Amino acid sequence: MTAALELKGVVKTYGRRRALDGLDLAVPRGSIFGLVGSNGAGKTTALAVSVGLLRRDAGSVNLLGDGPFDPLRHAGRVTLLPQDSRLPLHARVEDLLWFYGRLQGLAEGALRESIDDVLEWVHLRDRRRSPVRTLSHGMMRRLTIAQAFLGRPELVLLDEPMSGLDPREALRIRAILHHHRGGQTVVISSHDLRELEALCDTAAFIENGRLVRQDSMDNLTRRGQRITYSLEPDGRSIPLDELKLALPDATWETARDGAELTARFESDRLRAPEVNARVCEILLRHRIGILEIRRGSNLEGEYLAATAHAVQDAGPPPTAPVDR
Amino acid sequence: MSATLRNTWTVTLHELTDSIRSRRAIVLLILYALNAVVATLLFVKVLHEIENQLEKAAGVAQAENAGGTTSALWKNRGFREMISHLVGSRETAEKLLDIPPLALFFGWLSFFYTPLLVMLMSASRISEEMWTGSVRFMMFRTSRLSWCVGKYAGQALQLLVALLLSGLAAWITGWCRMAFFDPGPNAAAIAVFSLKAWVYGIAFLGLAMGVSQTIASPNVATAVGFIAMVVCAVLSMFADWITRQPWREILNAVDLVVPGGHKMDLWLPDAAHVGPATVFLLALGAAYMLAGYAGFSRRNL
Repeated sequence: MTAALELKGVVKTYGRRRALDGLDLAVPRGSIFGLVGSNGAGKTTALAVSVGLLRRDAGSVNLLGDGPFDPLRHAGRVTLLPQDSRLPLHARVEDLLWFYGRLQGLAEGALRESIDDVLEWVHLRDRRRSPVRTLSHGMMRRLTIAQAFLGRPELVLLDEPMSGLDPREALRIRAILHHHRGGQTVVISSHDLRELEALCDTAAFIENGRLVRQDSMDNLTRRGQRITYSLEPDGRSIPLDELKLALPDATWETARDGAELTARFESDRLRAPEVNARVCEILLRHRIGILEIRRGSNLEGEYLAATAHAVQDAGPPPTAPVDR
Repeated sequence: MSATLRNTWTVTLHELTDSIRSRRAIVLLILYALNAVVATLLFVKVLHEIENQLEKAAGVAQAENAGGTTSALWKNRGFREMISHLVGSRETAEKLLDIPPLALFFGWLSFFYTPLLVMLMSASRISEEMWTGSVRFMMFRTSRLSWCVGKYAGQALQLLVALLLSGLAAWITGWCRMAFFDPGPNAAAIAVFSLKAWVYGIAFLGLAMGVSQTIASPNVATAVGFIAMVVCAVLSMFADWITRQPWREILNAVDLVVPGGHKMDLWLPDAAHVGPATVFLLALGAAYMLAGYAGFSRRNL
């Protein structure tokens, strides 16, 4: 199956600075894909190049297996939530979505239904007749998210979708994105790595306009290969011999004076639920209190480790000038 | 209907509704109508003065309102000089004697202020969408060309409505303030001049939209639009004045690609002049707009 979005050797320069320096990326269809990188790493530029807002200097882009962005082929199939862009202030919420939907080629009935759906998702149904200028910052942000899902496009590119949202609305949007898992392909660029870890199936680390690493979230965070237990520090010793006997294919580490136990294993030999069940059973039998169970490491740690070298090698990140 | 045409029409309609919602269209209509009313009142006052002088010289009673001596006015040398000055050519003025004086004045007025107001209202239309970034919400939904042409068409329709409304305002003012006012011929002549001014304005609208596509700052775009308009006017004036070769030939060629070079043909009542001038001006508007689009189509948004 072809990727929903494929970038090969994409180069984009701003003056003498290379914002994208031969970027390779392949977003699997139906996935929720996280794009991680420091400021100026090239995330926003990559998304803008993908939908033709920025012209690439070299390399190729393949959207939905139909070549580079072409409005005749891709209008309505690919949408973008651009960063730092203001919606037209005078339009009413509903009229604006109607305008965008018509440009996407949606028929009236389908468009009306889609507007109802997306406004419901972002909690703006009661503001549908309001002019955009009367919305709060957070509401405008939600409206920009709504426009990206109008007409159920095959590929949705979201640049910092949660910035400016209150915790309740961010949670709601996350739930909506979870709900879309497997149907639409969603690419999310964000600095909130916890959010990406919770949402995404696959992620890519980008630094200095180059791909540092791309893998499934399970592999990136070693979810299928590592379980860490925080234990109640009551002086009881961990029954390591019994654990080794029960799970001979796993390796064991203890830390913090016996208050933390980590099981490492190969995902093709042992499955995480199986390991967890055996470890819990043994620990509880020895009356050792389990305070927390964590699968894998966190994305933040993996990202920092994977990109440390790239960040040290590079000079200051290229700034994306506004072409005025 | 192809997707491109459908989207162009969608953008045109949105441009119109957005202008109404943002009060921009209201401001535009008020500016045009107010301008027409004030200028027409001044014209009627001047006309009345000339009539009074003429009647004093002829030893007849002076009328209370202007227009009472219109037929005699046309034989008055001073008045003819004034019309010649307004039109810019004595020869053309002679051909316009069948047209009511108020309509002639409205023609001059609308040819004068349409380019100014077009630059004021339209040169920032695309720039401000680039400035705020709102253009980015549309460029993955439709082609850049459909969007630009849609904006251009929307502005052109607004201009037409504004000019027809200003013509109506001038006609009502004339009817109220002139003693001998023939409503039918005046209405017809004013409507024709509104359409001619629209055709003339379309060329400047193309210039404004062309500038707007190349500059992302609305204020700078408006300023550059005015500069471009002045440059066009200066080139056109030079083409009329300079007779020394080879400048004459060069400026004659330049005159073809600036709107002012076709204005005199629009003044004339016959289709042999108006037809080609209309085609040229519409083509010039499209050419200016597309010249700007050549940059916009490759622009990083």
